[in-house]
Amino acid sequence: MRKFKIHAAASLLVGALVILSGYAALFIAPEERTMGLIQRIFYMHLPAWISMFTAFTVAVVANIAYLRSRRLKWDWLGVASVEVGIVCGTIGLITGPIWAHPVWGVWWTWDARLTTTFILWLLYISYLLLRHLVDSPERRAQLSAVYGIFAYLDVPLVYVSNRLWRTTHPQPVFFGGANSGIDPTMSKVASLCIYAFLGVMILVLVQRYTVERLSHEIEDLRVQLDSRDSDQSVAPRYSSEGRAR
Amino acid sequence: MKNLNSLFAAWIAVWAVFFVYEIALARRLARLREEVDSLKQRLRGGS
Amino acid sequence: MSDARAALIILAKELRLELRTRELVGATIVFALVVVVLFNFAFDPTASEARRFGPGLLWIAFLFAGSLLLNPSFARENQNDTLDALRLAPVSPFAIVAGKMLANFLFMSLVEFVLIPVFSVLYNVSLLSVVGRLILVVALGTAGLVVTGTVFSAISAHARMRELLLPLLLLPLLAPLLIASVEATASLMQDPSALDRTWVTFLAGFDIVFLTASWLLSGFLVEE
Repeated sequence: MRKFKIHAAASLLVGALVILSGYAALFIAPEERTMGLIQRIFYMHLPAWISMFTAFTVAVVANIAYLRSRRLKWDWLGVASVEVGIVCGTIGLITGPIWAHPVWGVWWTWDARLTTTFILWLLYISYLLLRHLVDSPERRAQLSAVYGIFAYLDVPLVYVSNRLWRTTHPQPVFFGGANSGIDPTMSKVASLCIYAFLGVMILVLVQRYTVERLSHEIEDLRVQLDSRDSDQSVAPRYSSEGRAR
Repeated sequence: MKNLNSLFAAWIAVWAVFFVYEIALARRLARLREEVDSLKQRLRGGS
Repeated sequence: MSDARAALIILAKELRLELRTRELVGATIVFALVVVVLFNFAFDPTASEARRFGPGLLWIAFLFAGSLLLNPSFARENQNDTLDALRLAPVSPFAIVAGKMLANFLFMSLVEFVLIPVFSVLYNVSLLSVVGRLILVVALGTAGLVVTGTVFSAISAHARMRELLLPLLLLPLLAPLLIASVEATASLMQDPSALDRTWVTFLAGFDIVFLTASWLLSGFLVEE
């Protein structure tokens, strides 16, 4: 019951944040000089990327924790945060081109930041694919933890290599480049939106984690049932191997 | 009101992605909770 | 037994196996050649275009060929459960992984040793003047490919569809290596040819990062 209350309170808080940030993004933030109304996509676009990156950071911490402790709950956290991170990344990848096309005339450009985030997105989709193709839970946890660590180590390398590369082969840079200043009101509204997005992300992550935890519990209960049933009959009627995921 | 369409499209896209994922997740969660309860019942209830 | 000696013994075993069956390196060379030839049909490059896109073509060919060559590294052990036997030996897991990395490095080097001259001839790009520095760049790039690829071979050996999984895991991760190798090779092929220190340093850094990670995590790769 207490858990439910915490969850309800958190959901209300996050809900309020979302409404507040939406209002702020539309009405409080000043209108950008050159781009006009469409620039407000920024208040959805940036939080999406930040949330994706936060989720992947949570994932690598979970990966390391799993390898050190062998407790499956870290694996559940790992897959939950990667999956949620990919959803956030998808939002970023969709809002980006929608913003870019009317303003700059192109849907996409291979500048350093866009390329880096796209590669990250692909890298972690591979993580999910790997999990999908390994059946035993412990082995899946172990292998994906190792891969997750490798993928995360790649992140700075991808960014640095793209930055270096793009200084010699420049591309049109979206979103003002790395060093463009930002109006203080815009900055405050952006921070609010980031907190709102992160809040939603955490709530969804907890749900996804619970899905893993319950799936595991079901396997356990099934095994218990099977062994109890087979104790009471001459031969077991069905094997006690859980379904492959 | 330049580019209102694009802003709206982005807004729709964000919420669409969120809701598709969230609804699928919530349904899966409900199904799993049900199954846990039913399995626990069976274990308690005896063969 | 010291790790280094164990690794060398594993290396010898891998080499002996390949010498006996001869299936891996030959097939990989042919595959890489096909990629190089298809480039001609896809782009019909002029001499200057070949010089411009050549490095990219070469490294794409090496990456794709590598993805195929690296797979059997650990997958072969599944057939007769020979990995269990290796595990029982009193050697550290990293010795096993390192032995395979060394073997894969040698195999890839063989492939590159054939491919680079062939490319040079087919597309009229002269490489003799930069051979020494080219070997350095190719070695660093191959090391990165082989270190990460061998680790992912160990990972995907336990998964279904491993022939498809390995490239899917490996190629996105190697994007930085591809950029660095292509840029370094390209700067060697330019008219005043130059060894790009930045990219060579980056490659070395890439190799060190993932070699260290492999060393720290090798226990988990070889385990039951």
